[in-house]
Amino acid sequence: MSDRALQDAVIRALADAPYRASPEWRGRGLADASRVERYARFLARHFYNERIVNFFKYSRALARITGRRPEAVLRQPGFDALLSTLVLGSRDSARTVAALVARYLSEGESAIPYRSDLLRYEAAMMVAEAGARIWREQGEGRRERAFPERVEGTVLLELEYDLPAVLPKLLQPWSEPPVAPRRATTLLVARSPHGRVAVARGNQAVAAVVALADGKRTLDQLATRAGLDRAALEETLLGLIDLGAVRFSTGS
Amino acid sequence: MSDISVGAFYNPHLGRELAAADGIDHLAMADPPSAGDPWFPQIRERYTLLLHDYLGQLSEPLDERSIQRARSLAQLYRSPWVAEHFQCLHTEDGAYSLNYVFPPLYTEEFLDRFVRNAKALKDRLDQPLVMENIPGFFDVKASQLPEPVWLRRFFEATGVGFLLDLPHVWLEAHYHDLEPERWLAEFPLEHVVELHVAGVEQDADLGGPWIAPAEPSQAMLDFMAHAVGRCPRAKAVTFDAFSPSLAAEVLLRSVERIRRAL
Repeated sequence: MSDRALQDAVIRALADAPYRASPEWRGRGLADASRVERYARFLARHFYNERIVNFFKYSRALARITGRRPEAVLRQPGFDALLSTLVLGSRDSARTVAALVARYLSEGESAIPYRSDLLRYEAAMMVAEAGARIWREQGEGRRERAFPERVEGTVLLELEYDLPAVLPKLLQPWSEPPVAPRRATTLLVARSPHGRVAVARGNQAVAAVVALADGKRTLDQLATRAGLDRAALEETLLGLIDLGAVRFSTGS
Repeated sequence: MSDISVGAFYNPHLGRELAAADGIDHLAMADPPSAGDPWFPQIRERYTLLLHDYLGQLSEPLDERSIQRARSLAQLYRSPWVAEHFQCLHTEDGAYSLNYVFPPLYTEEFLDRFVRNAKALKDRLDQPLVMENIPGFFDVKASQLPEPVWLRRFFEATGVGFLLDLPHVWLEAHYHDLEPERWLAEFPLEHVVELHVAGVEQDADLGGPWIAPAEPSQAMLDFMAHAVGRCPRAKAVTFDAFSPSLAAEVLLRSVERIRRAL
């Protein structure tokens, strides 16, 4: 085994709690198990602190009304109980931690009518950000434009309130909580291969293409099923690819 | 009076205070300025800015995109040197990442990788490259060389400068029951260009001290004065705190205390 592969095993042990507990890792005897465990727990709290502070920043801005800061969950027994199961960067772990934060925040005082939408939005951002990413470009590779495919983690949110109208105001100084217009709003949350999370307003065409892009349908089949002409489909796809919501697969 | 530049990290939430502050010579940039940062134009005009971003881990070669990003940030900041870390924090396939600085194994293979990739990066930059030491909380048995020996060989092979993070040295000494001054003496101090100083605080998970966005203790400042006296090429000391929780008073007071201690 190369030194690089050994380093990868150490990184994985710190990031992946079930692997850290496995005979495969423990049998290597590479490092003091107690110190590795302590450092892994420190890293987990740091890892999720960064994400909670970033993705739940709007709820954080409402803390003086709700009395709850999102990152407080990291020092609660609920999070401690997760430590033996978490895999840093995995979508399942992100989903579990985001749900814990949302549950904690939803139990706080609130006269914020759009709080439920806000928590769904913030949790969706955190979940979308998770997953393996490209750290280094390895060349262009094959880019056959054949089968559009929804990127894992892409989410369409159907909201009761127009959150984009209120989010910037929440981060500015306010004395009364900003009001969100009550109107049905569709938002698309997606992530680029390098980990940048983006949000865009969705419409019927976007919703249809995201739902139907399974990596098996051709452009013509997709256009027919989505009820779009070819030009409209290609324009929609360009926007979705820019956002990181859809990519082209080469089929199987 | 020392002619060493004394500075801190640019914390965007303290933009107003930093734009008006006295007694700070330089600011290190951990992140690019956001498009909506109203203070950055003033900050850029007023201060020497040091590029101290995450450029990539030099266990692998940096790709063209990362190199161009480093070049354009160095140009934006007019940075006198460019900093990276001795870190290997994500797996080669990208599946796992710690999202926190983590040192490589101190082996011949990793030395060869870091020397090769640092030389390649250095050749593509218009500014000198400096590299920062990273603390280990535990030893990995696969390491073959003591960290200071590995670092010395790296600096001698590359001609890269040393960004000496003193709290990192102090923490390693603490967790190995060594005197910090004795452990420091092992490091290749003749290559040091910049030093980092910071506070440490008790961490419940680690059961001991770790780096924190806090004021350096008097003991840490004494350690800094001791170190600077042994780094003949040192040009700058930076208060190493970058966090949304950092208060302006803590940053300003820390810089002032560093300056007095030099």
